[in-house]
Amino acid sequence: MPSVAPGSESSTALIAAIAAGDRDAFSRFYDLTAPMAFGLIRRVLRDPEAAAEVLQEVFWQVWQDAPRYDPKRGSPEAWLVMRAKTRAIDRLRSIRRRDRTFVAPVDESVTQGSPDRAPDPAVVAEDRGLIQTALAQLPEAQRRVIELAFFEGLTQSEIATRLGEPLGTVKTRTRLGLDRLRGVLGGERLSAT
Amino acid sequence: MNRDEIDELAAAYALGGLEGEERVRFEALLEAGDPDAVRALRDCEDTLVGLAAAAPESPPPAVKAALMERIAATPASVRTLPRRSRALWPVVLSGAMAAGLAAVVVGWSVSSTYEKRLDALVQSAERLRAELRSQQAVIAILRDPATQVVVLAGLPPAPGARARMMWHAQAGGVFVATGLPAPPDGKAYQLWAIAGGNAPVSAGVFTVDAAGTGSLAVRPLPGVAAVNAFAVTLEPAGGLPAPSGEMYLLGKS
Repeated sequence: MPSVAPGSESSTALIAAIAAGDRDAFSRFYDLTAPMAFGLIRRVLRDPEAAAEVLQEVFWQVWQDAPRYDPKRGSPEAWLVMRAKTRAIDRLRSIRRRDRTFVAPVDESVTQGSPDRAPDPAVVAEDRGLIQTALAQLPEAQRRVIELAFFEGLTQSEIATRLGEPLGTVKTRTRLGLDRLRGVLGGERLSAT
Repeated sequence: MNRDEIDELAAAYALGGLEGEERVRFEALLEAGDPDAVRALRDCEDTLVGLAAAAPESPPPAVKAALMERIAATPASVRTLPRRSRALWPVVLSGAMAAGLAAVVVGWSVSSTYEKRLDALVQSAERLRAELRSQQAVIAILRDPATQVVVLAGLPPAPGARARMMWHAQAGGVFVATGLPAPPDGKAYQLWAIAGGNAPVSAGVFTVDAAGTGSLAVRPLPGVAAVNAFAVTLEPAGGLPAPSGEMYLLGKS
């Protein structure tokens, strides 16, 4: 599979061409980045049909919002991944809301915080081998906070409630976890080339 | 703010979990182009890209086919319509606006092909779905007996202004203001929660439309137990960590 380093000239140039209405550039950007986005969306949403719908929404947004992409704010890949993540989490929340049969409680964190309602991230992680490999190299406590935030869309204080840990601990673990992950992924990228 | 603190905010922000006053603070740093904040966020986002890139999955071919078809049917002019920023304001009162916008989009497409019309409907359905989600959250807050209603009255800069805050300490709140003058360029209104003798805590930044109406969905404020008052001041567009400008609205709970 072709892979491009985030922010590489080609992906930035492709976005600029998409902004100018170049359908061919859109097609190439899709080929380059859709597998990455879809892998992430599937990690959040287990239902393949919902994941395909979200992927389509995300790339439709890419087509529409390309003129507003600002390279100073980050790479096109980051721009795409953040959108894919947000959309997938939105969908996850709406599915959960729909699945609730009782009167909706006021505080979403109350229900998200009850451990029996949400799938255990460790179990969900099992079917996603490679992400698991990168995340598996993190200490368990750091891995949990990143998974709960990135794949389940919990806020820092919701994570603190869910894990029964002080908010400050959650914040520190999030930062340390991302630091460690950067090292792990950076190492893999080097060894792959 | 030291490096570690900025890195911590950036990590939580990139993961989508930064809330309340910290979010306002970090977005203000980004808005101001603070190099440490911008660099820290880029690092975190690139790491998350790496995480996503480590487990790619081939999407069903039908997705691309549908997209290419949809794009082929879109005139370039449609793409350049200004769109309201999604992230900032899950606005309470925008229902009428969203419906109006949807009507414009739908109206435009009537003269067009069936394909285009379907497309516009899909877009407006997406918009209305988002609208519905934010309104459901509002209804849940209104339904809870623990929710208090705080009425804010206009102060000398805008004596005709009125506002109302539906506030629930655990769930957050919904704030709606009317009769405010349009803020000057580079300025915005900032809502503050005042608890006891503590310094005011930012509850978010908002602007008003041509009719002087603005609203804000407020997340729960960590560490703020019982709010005694809400106030609105005029501040630089990204908001500040502490109020500096003139006070426009004040209401005690």
